[in-house]
Amino acid sequence: MDYKYIEQLLERYWKCETSLEEEQILRTFFRQEEIPAHLLPYKSLFAYEENAKHVALDDDFDQRILAKVEPQKVKVRHMSLRRQFAPLYKAAAVIAVVLSLSTVAQYSFNRGEQVDYNYDAYKDTYTDPQAAYGTVSEALQIVSESIQESQVQNGDTALVPEQKVITE
Amino acid sequence: MQEINFRHDILPLKNKLFRLALRITMDSAEAEDIVQDTMIKVWSHREELTELESVEAYCLAICRNLAIDRSQLKGAQTEELTEQNTAQPDASDPYSRFVQNEQMQIIHRLINALPEKQRTIVQLRDVEGKSYKEIAEVLQLSEEQVKVNLFRARQKIKQQFTEINNYGL
Repeated sequence: MDYKYIEQLLERYWKCETSLEEEQILRTFFRQEEIPAHLLPYKSLFAYEENAKHVALDDDFDQRILAKVEPQKVKVRHMSLRRQFAPLYKAAAVIAVVLSLSTVAQYSFNRGEQVDYNYDAYKDTYTDPQAAYGTVSEALQIVSESIQESQVQNGDTALVPEQKVITE
Repeated sequence: MQEINFRHDILPLKNKLFRLALRITMDSAEAEDIVQDTMIKVWSHREELTELESVEAYCLAICRNLAIDRSQLKGAQTEELTEQNTAQPDASDPYSRFVQNEQMQIIHRLINALPEKQRTIVQLRDVEGKSYKEIAEVLQLSEEQVKVNLFRARQKIKQQFTEINNYGL
């Protein structure tokens, strides 16, 4: 077998003129069992380079590094979840307090001034019946207009304000 | 480039980083620490990684810098190839598993006796199979400087290896 090519490659290897592919050819060549005596000394050099590639960390390392890198992620997510809900709890508490306070306040304010149903106690505000009649019919006119308008939208619920107006 | 995933983009580099750190510090426990620090450092800067061309080169560069810092901190000097330390190979060294015969032990010591820069370049070129361009990127040198250093390293290995083989030591 002719080893000229290998010798040539080797010569260029020492001069750093070989490409990565050519260096791989050398490594592959020196991996085989039978190598001519004059090239044999270099076998261990290339075998060493080849073997050095297999030095590796064990799987325990993965566990350790992942434990250092990933828990941080989980922890942060956990915190942010809590933080996300914290303002909601606060808002709910504030709303509850305001609602209960306003209900209590409304109840205590309205207790004094209940609606008076005793019509006999009402006093006349007009002395001239003609003027009173004019004012009332004017008011009723406005009420009937607004009822007609609101009936189109809401139906019977619009009747509630009417009663209020009449009682006044 | 898309977002960096630790398991997919950084973790698979562990052995390459370990071998580089080991080549510089020549201490496997130290090298493992360095790989861990490198990964944590890279991961904490992951936003900037998306702008990088090669995450691998960036990781290797950080790993090398950390390894050099550590070696200097320890005051570890490059081992001289003297008769005393050629006689006793380090048993805890993971390389020793692969260095089966005496010849390979000689190579191992020859490479590790080189100055740090040459040693790193030999590691990246001859073991990891990196191009001159990639090595230049990791070491922040020009491709020409990388070649010059590799040339010196190979010449030295060749010369000393031949001497040892011809005359014994």
